[in-house]
Amino acid sequence: MKKTGLLYDERYLRHDTGPNHPESPQRLKAIYQGIKEAGLLPKLTLIQARRADLKWIETIHSKNYIKRFEVACGSGNSTFDYPDNQICAETFETALLAVGGILDAVQLIMTDKLDNVFCAVRPPGHHAEYDKALGFCYFNNVAIAARYLQIEWGIQRVGIVDFDVHHGNGTQHLFEDDPTVFYYSIHQHPTFAFPGTGRVFETGDGEGVGTTRNYPVLPGQGDKEYQGLVERDLVPVLSAFSPEVILVSAGFDAHVDDDMSDINLSTQGYSRIMQRIAALAALYSDGRLISVLEGGYCLKRLPELAANHVNILLNA
Amino acid sequence: MFISKIMSRNAVTIDINADISQAREIMSENNFRHLPVVDDSNFLIGIVTDRDIRSVLPSSHITGDNGMEVLKRFSGIKIKDIMTKNPVALSPLDTLQDALILLQKERFGAFPVIDEQKKLIGIVSVRDLLREFINVLGLEEPGTLLCIIVENKLGQMKKIVDAITEEHVSFGSVLVSRYWEKGKRAVFPYLLTQNIAPVKRKLKKMGYTLLDPMDWYMDHLPQND
Repeated sequence: MKKTGLLYDERYLRHDTGPNHPESPQRLKAIYQGIKEAGLLPKLTLIQARRADLKWIETIHSKNYIKRFEVACGSGNSTFDYPDNQICAETFETALLAVGGILDAVQLIMTDKLDNVFCAVRPPGHHAEYDKALGFCYFNNVAIAARYLQIEWGIQRVGIVDFDVHHGNGTQHLFEDDPTVFYYSIHQHPTFAFPGTGRVFETGDGEGVGTTRNYPVLPGQGDKEYQGLVERDLVPVLSAFSPEVILVSAGFDAHVDDDMSDINLSTQGYSRIMQRIAALAALYSDGRLISVLEGGYCLKRLPELAANHVNILLNA
Repeated sequence: MFISKIMSRNAVTIDINADISQAREIMSENNFRHLPVVDDSNFLIGIVTDRDIRSVLPSSHITGDNGMEVLKRFSGIKIKDIMTKNPVALSPLDTLQDALILLQKERFGAFPVIDEQKKLIGIVSVRDLLREFINVLGLEEPGTLLCIIVENKLGQMKKIVDAITEEHVSFGSVLVSRYWEKGKRAVFPYLLTQNIAPVKRKLKKMGYTLLDPMDWYMDHLPQND
């Protein structure tokens, strides 16, 4: 059994998005409950949140943006940068706690105290751009982790797999001209889903051409389509890149019961994708796998999806 | 959206007495395919395209010559011999819509833009027009597209706009268009939200039909209509 970490902290519930917002604290409670009720907690190393040093946020976001975000939260504004982005007084601190917890998790992996980790954090990150918040995201958690791995731990090649049902525009844009970070995304086709990016021909810029890959899936598709593309495309493409660490933008909103999308992945379908990614990490990354929560809004399904996800990490 | 805002100013032009090798050079240097032809006072008298040039040159595959030698032999051909005289031109006060319709009608790749005296003031290409069209449609703005089928009668839009506004969702743009069934219209709100599910639920509850995204509107438009 692997040494698997779980990053979870009740302070992540303090980012209050108001009534009827899908990105709610209940999501995280459901995830934690699911892992607990599956009897997995005793097998996991629990990691607490910690406030991130701003210098790591600044490797990805502009100082001006960070300041704007802090001021917006302190001013009593209810949204920031985009109508969906509900904030409260605690949002800025919670976002810092999310990043800090993830960086601690990375450190535990790089010092061999852990093999892999699931970071159940809020707010999510993959839509956040260099200087713009979008799609419930403020700090790009995974992008900051990738830079931290490179700067602090000397990692040369980072692979990011994003299976949230929405395209991670922020992560793609932050690394599109960077050949050292591979961004691979599977998502609902952008003509039919938010945010409207992630088309097949978006393959990177300048020196980074070839280390961005988008696989849009049409509405109504599910397990069969995903399974096929994982075997046909994801596995060979990531194998060729041979990442030293794999980061996962884990969004569970492609589930058939999640009404944020028209994609019909089953719970088992999700497990098969994660098993394949874990196998890739074992082959190329010495098992180093850092999974970070993005979307996933079906409170009824999140417990089983999270429990299966963690179980796969434990048995990777 | 006026052409004056879309066009490139300072269009690169060519003299009527220049020969085709000069035109070819300018085109390949600047990656242009259209050169307006003007006289000394900048009056538009024609336009020459890379296609015009290619059509007077023999195929190098047949003669076995390389490009430069072929050009040399045909260098006597002047722009005035191959240009299109009095080309279709736009005015700066023509609109994006004018240009798109004209484009489909005339099958040109670019239009010179002239003022009231017929002096050249710019050029607008298909690429320029497409860029603006993408801009107008907001294709690069993050959001979610919905397709709603409504009865073709007064007041439908108000209900839809009210329902979406009650969900605190903002509009990026709205397109109202024909539907293939008689007496119905298709409404395409582009909404500035990721959280589309409550809007969908509400509209369905109000009795509206949401178009299955895979049952795509364009596939059902009558041909040649």
